[in-house]
Amino acid sequence: MLITHPLLGLRDAQEFTYLGDARLIDRPAPSAPDAEAAFCDYVFLRDNPAGVHRELWYHEHGDRSWLVVTRDTVTHEVLGAELARNVALARTRCSK
Amino acid sequence: MSDLRPITALGAALPRLASFGALEIRENGGLALASMALRRGTVEPTPFGLALPGPGRWIAGQGVAALWTGLDQWMIEAEGRAELDFAAELKQLAPGCSVTEQTDGWVAFEIVSRAGTGPIDALLSKLVNVDLADFGPGCATRTGLEHMSCFVIRRSEAHIAVLGARSSAGSLWHALETAAKRLEER
Repeated sequence: MLITHPLLGLRDAQEFTYLGDARLIDRPAPSAPDAEAAFCDYVFLRDNPAGVHRELWYHEHGDRSWLVVTRDTVTHEVLGAELARNVALARTRCSK
Repeated sequence: MSDLRPITALGAALPRLASFGALEIRENGGLALASMALRRGTVEPTPFGLALPGPGRWIAGQGVAALWTGLDQWMIEAEGRAELDFAAELKQLAPGCSVTEQTDGWVAFEIVSRAGTGPIDALLSKLVNVDLADFGPGCATRTGLEHMSCFVIRRSEAHIAVLGARSSAGSLWHALETAAKRLEER
């Protein structure tokens, strides 16, 4: 499997380690009144779709960047990848 | 007082050197390394007059060179300065940047071919998962080499360097030596 790294082009998936659902970026606010329930969902609940999935991959044998990779879990086709840093920054801008 | 003598990454008094057919592998004991990272809001410096390279690239100057290691991060190399405080020197030239001494964390192997680019390409294709069609002089990347994380630098058509963790210098030498020997026997 090849991952289209946004800076380095096609890279072998062996260079990466996998973390999981990209929703891990959306960490709940610890000071919110419902923080306990929100953290319980955040830590334990994951979608496990058969099909298109957005997930976090770490380029360990590479530039040490975190990527959000869009992948079809049925065919293993990689549909796109972006720097997780950009994804996270775009979200903070939207929420402010 | 004990008579302390420095040893190389491979544990000898002198850097190791070996030839396999057209390929020569040399432990580069004199290479000083320091990493440099931009901090938010700092201007990109040009240490030693180096125009810092972009993703996947390496650039050489007078006795120094720089390779891109990550977003806003570079590794700076200095030939023959391993015994000096190179990181301190770099820090002076990179105001506001984070500079970290790296020399003693790495081992550098220089691999030179006496028969042009062919043997180098053959060796690389045996060892690393890098697209050689897009790995000409001035390219550098970090990748896995027998499960060890290494920087591979294409210094010229017939000269590459492999930087690996100093603690696995012996395993890295073994990997390079074995691949080069098999090419020689072929």
